[in-house]
Amino acid sequence: MREKIQKIRENFELEFRQFQEIDFLRLSLSDAEGLMRNLQEFKAKHTGKKSEIAEAKKLIKEIPPEERAEFGRSVQEAERQMLSLIQEAEKRLKDFIAETKIRRETLDVTIPGFRWRTGHLHPITILRQKIEDIFVSMGYAVEDDREIENDYYNFDALNIPEGHPAREAQDTFYTTKGLALRSQTSTVQIRAMERRGVPIRIIAPGKVFRNDTPDPTHVPMFHQVEGLCVDKGISMAHLKGTVAEWLRRLFGKETKIRMRPSYFPFTEPSAEFDCSCFKCSGTGIFQDEKCRPCKGTGWIELGGCGMVHPNVLKNCGVNPEIYSGFAFGFGLERMCAMLYSIDDIRLMFENDIRFLRQFR
Amino acid sequence: MNISYNWLKDLIEIELSPYELAEKLTNAGLAVDSVERFGDDYVLVFDLTSNRSDCLSHLGIAREVKALTGKELKLSYNDPEVASARTETADNLETKLNASPCGLVTIEAPDLCYRFTARIIKNVKVEKSPEWLIRRLEAVGERAINNIADITNYVMHELGQPMHAFDLDKLTENRIVVRRARKGEKIKTLDEVERNLDETMLAICDAEKPVAVAGIMGGFHSGISENTKNVLLEVAYFDRNSIRQTSRKLKLSTEASYRFERGVDIENLIRASDRATELICEIAGGEADAFVDVYPTKRSELAVSLRPQKIKTLLGYDVEVEEIKRILSLLGFKLKDEFSNGLSFVVPSWRHDVSIEEDLVEEIARILGYDRIQEEIPPSFGAGEYQPSEERKRNLRKTLANMGFDEAISYSFIDASHDARFEIVPNLVNENLQEKFITLMDSIIEGAVRMRPTLLSGLLDAVRTNFNRGERNLKLFEIGRVFAAFDDKEGAFPIERELFAMVITGGLMLEGRALPTREVDFYDLKGALEASFEALQLPFCEFVEKDIKHLRKGQSALVKVGGKEVGYIGRLSDGISEIYKFRQPVFVAEVDLQTLLEFEPVKPIYQPLPIYPSIIRDTAFLVKGNVNFAQIKESLEKEAFQNLSKIEFVELYQGKELAGDERSLTIRFEFRSNEKTLTEEEAEESHNRIVEFLEEKFGIRKRF
Repeated sequence: MREKIQKIRENFELEFRQFQEIDFLRLSLSDAEGLMRNLQEFKAKHTGKKSEIAEAKKLIKEIPPEERAEFGRSVQEAERQMLSLIQEAEKRLKDFIAETKIRRETLDVTIPGFRWRTGHLHPITILRQKIEDIFVSMGYAVEDDREIENDYYNFDALNIPEGHPAREAQDTFYTTKGLALRSQTSTVQIRAMERRGVPIRIIAPGKVFRNDTPDPTHVPMFHQVEGLCVDKGISMAHLKGTVAEWLRRLFGKETKIRMRPSYFPFTEPSAEFDCSCFKCSGTGIFQDEKCRPCKGTGWIELGGCGMVHPNVLKNCGVNPEIYSGFAFGFGLERMCAMLYSIDDIRLMFENDIRFLRQFR
Repeated sequence: MNISYNWLKDLIEIELSPYELAEKLTNAGLAVDSVERFGDDYVLVFDLTSNRSDCLSHLGIAREVKALTGKELKLSYNDPEVASARTETADNLETKLNASPCGLVTIEAPDLCYRFTARIIKNVKVEKSPEWLIRRLEAVGERAINNIADITNYVMHELGQPMHAFDLDKLTENRIVVRRARKGEKIKTLDEVERNLDETMLAICDAEKPVAVAGIMGGFHSGISENTKNVLLEVAYFDRNSIRQTSRKLKLSTEASYRFERGVDIENLIRASDRATELICEIAGGEADAFVDVYPTKRSELAVSLRPQKIKTLLGYDVEVEEIKRILSLLGFKLKDEFSNGLSFVVPSWRHDVSIEEDLVEEIARILGYDRIQEEIPPSFGAGEYQPSEERKRNLRKTLANMGFDEAISYSFIDASHDARFEIVPNLVNENLQEKFITLMDSIIEGAVRMRPTLLSGLLDAVRTNFNRGERNLKLFEIGRVFAAFDDKEGAFPIERELFAMVITGGLMLEGRALPTREVDFYDLKGALEASFEALQLPFCEFVEKDIKHLRKGQSALVKVGGKEVGYIGRLSDGISEIYKFRQPVFVAEVDLQTLLEFEPVKPIYQPLPIYPSIIRDTAFLVKGNVNFAQIKESLEKEAFQNLSKIEFVELYQGKELAGDERSLTIRFEFRSNEKTLTEEEAEESHNRIVEFLEEKFGIRKRF
């Protein structure tokens, strides 16, 4: 009997060698899976119900009673040892398979996620919307009107009579029918006052046109925002406060503004308004060098403003002895260029997607 | 305009450095662009506003310095009042008539020449100017010519008065006639260009012919030469409009015309003439001879009143009456009257820009400095308002950006050659008009004289630009106005309408990944357009197959929203692609946004959720020729089959096993009852009826 068990063990060990001497370094996943399947078969063969060891167990009846206990122990011992060897091999293979699979399915988590390319609004739109939001929250109505105007609205009503140097200086586009492409959004001041009367608070963003040769700081079509506030008792202090307020909301709390005397036919007194440079915070120096946007002055010129000229009020049927008001205007392209450090505003109308995609 | 710091110091005491001075002047409204070193001098480069012609000289700036610092002017020569007192008794003075008694000067056009002075200076020696004079002229950017010409230039820069020196012996009959040019008269000006004059132009003539274009440029033949012995010095005042118009007509702008058309000081002529005479005698060794002053069109004195209350109203702060008087008197305004509630001031003859109370307020404000103005917010007023369509337009833009469209803005003027290429959106162009479009007289951009009736040309230009720069996968949109004639009448405002257009081409791109997932097609653009309509909350839209001028046959459609024709969509025609040199399909759509925004936004209405489950049948039909999905869907909806709750498109397939014009159209039918759970048999029965119906109506056969 003992020999028989010995024989079984020897047969087992001989066949088991293939599972014991696996060269895991050279083993492929599919070979490992094959071996795993073989191991299952092997397990069934050597430890299953029809295995030799199972057969051997049945022989216990033929063993003399006094030897039965010992026989039983040795059979069980042999069975236990074989099973344990198999289980060890099983674990080794299983671990190998699991590890290989993980290694194989490991992702490069740095690859871009799957999403459709998104588009971008034009920087002028982005800025216009921000400015509209600020003014609407300050009680202003957004107005717009014709882009093709007649000389009355483009010039005369704005106190720019024929022969006025300002009328000459602006290279106005004219249609063959004698109409003008509006050269400033101030035209909307007149239209809106005619329509709404006073008191009035409006801003008017829109396109304007000047027959200027395109260069890095000039384009024949650009966008302006015009602001107008007419009421009883409106003063230049209100103008300054309003301009300062919206610029602080747009550029940040620390923004300072200043006004310098200037000249526009439709305002009196008139002023240019500047804000402290948002790059160098008004110091004129950025990273130990002369600040570029403000040319080292600490100030950025933004636009023109002033108290609405009495002739303009009269032209709209408003009595300047009762009402006063302020107006201001500025170019969006210029502000955009300053805000994003764009050195050539012609880029705004080329629609190069490499440009457009830089703005959100 | 350039101002020499040292020269300015000759006219007024200055304790400020050139840089401090520049800042002070800038803050008073005389913008100094830069301060530049010039040897032992500094040059202040001004960018003056067009109203301040009085500041186009060292005297003008000195007057401003006086107002800002309180220092007195120190002119080494006569002031105007002294000068006129002298000439009143001297020589052949006659200011009442249009001509001097001796006939030296005759003004035939006193409406264009208000005043004319002439001084004869004899026995001059024309040569190079002394070094100091040349340096001064160089500092202000003038080139030295000869001593006589240089002195006239010098005095212009010093006192602001342009003047001209004639060679007296070259003037026929040695006299001057100021008159309108005659038709056909010509003059060769100092720049040696022959110029044609007309009756609107003022000419300075001798007894026979024009010898100068008044206020603009002298004649070549009567000019100062090396041989000149005797000089006639003209110092005059001309009508501003006349000079401006002549200068525009002749396309000739000079330092003189620049000043005359903006306005010089008519009361400054004698002083300027005297100053030049003094310098000519000193430098060119001449002897002052006869002087005449013909002044037929007198300047009327202008007085403007000012109420201190107005200052408070406009500036928001009070200024004491004494302070008002002090500031205005420093600026040369003379107090004329004092009322209970205000003052009245005489405007100095050099200030053409001051005529109303507000102008005086500005004078006070700028001398006190705009820093003095406080920051205040006006009392609150009411709620703000967006443009009524703004919310929907923002939705539209956001939706488009989320779908990968970049926003373009193109110029509103395009080449007129585009007119015939594109079909313009419905109901924009009035076909009955002779001129349907809006045209510009001229444009700075070559050929771009047409106000665009379509956004497509701009978007296609953008496509070309991007192709040229190596970007082939594009999705662009633009929202903007287009233009068309309203009617033929002169001065009639044109139609301005806001449109919305899209273009797509190339592959469908993922963010951060180099290769497209696939190439775009018609349905990608259609989907984007449908999503846009949804963002605008529009009623139902339809796409009707139609041939469109700029689109490829078989891939183009008319777009209708709520039954209205609003635009077109499709693949760009091969013809236009060829013009643009596009070598890949380009899809475009353009719709009338303004018309779309006239639809009330469609508000969702809640539908009760279904209670009973549905049964689905996907069926493929063999479709031929001109039968399309919309027809099938519409007819089924009209028939109202029992329990048919939904018809959905699944797929359209064109394969080798199908004949040329045959397609396999798979449609999903959903059956549902609101009363009970349907049985398979009930659904099957409805489905069979539908298949029969379609076979009968359209002759289409079920494949599987």
